[in-house]
Amino acid sequence: MAEFAILGILGIFALPFLLLTLFWAIYGIAMPLMFIWGMLTSGRNLDKMIEETNARERSTRATLGRDPLSTVDRWMVRSDVTNSGLIYASGVFGPSYWQLMIAWVNNLTGGSVTVFQKVISAGRAEVMQRLRENAIEAGWDDVVNVRIDTADMTPQSSQRGRIRGVEVFAYGTGIKYS
Amino acid sequence: MEQVVNGILVVNTETIPGKMITETLGVVSGSTVRAKHLGKDIFAGLKNIVGGELAQYTELLQESRQEAVGRMVADAMSIGATAVVNVRFATSAITAGAAELFAYGTAVKYE
Repeated sequence: MAEFAILGILGIFALPFLLLTLFWAIYGIAMPLMFIWGMLTSGRNLDKMIEETNARERSTRATLGRDPLSTVDRWMVRSDVTNSGLIYASGVFGPSYWQLMIAWVNNLTGGSVTVFQKVISAGRAEVMQRLRENAIEAGWDDVVNVRIDTADMTPQSSQRGRIRGVEVFAYGTGIKYS
Repeated sequence: MEQVVNGILVVNTETIPGKMITETLGVVSGSTVRAKHLGKDIFAGLKNIVGGELAQYTELLQESRQEAVGRMVADAMSIGATAVVNVRFATSAITAGAAELFAYGTAVKYE
């Protein structure tokens, strides 16, 4: 009986380490596979995302006949504004490890790093479209004073397990006309 | 329309469209640091290899931002404001998987 108790206690202490080992083993196998998967699909997925966002944007513009977003600071000179309120939309986007490698090579030769530019501008277009959709869903007629922020999600302090991505955040004031 | 959070009007314009500001009460702010549990961090890490949107972190920041705005509004309520104008946001990543969100604005009274 006492042996079982000792084994049990040892087991409880060893369990986290065993799980951690298992995790790293799975990660070691999965990571190269996912890298290759990313190499094969990331470019096409990005193009698909850009295409899809553009299609949604076109349909929004077609239904409203104009772009509801504007960056003007002063709200439109109209006296029939009945309501206003803050709205925002965000998204976190990252390049694949393969795209990071391409960017590294681009960096060596200098010039524009097209891969990053494409990822970030695709993310920005997507977030702006989300803001439009949020505004329509909430019943606003217009969104004024739109600001777009980009924040690096990669903390400089941690070396291990860092996420390579940027957060795009768009906010503005929705206004309702009577 | 969720323009009124707990009875306080929140906008990021300098004035409130269609309303008159009668009194400014100073700067109000709200901040929050949130993290996702390990499982979601691992999924996000794997998704990062393939690239694209990291939905886990999008969700994390969305929740955090709501909390930060909520705290800012609570701050505004405590000093008796009826609206917060000129709201700004700031984001900083502290460690992998945790983000600090900060929202600030000017508390005002309007009629």
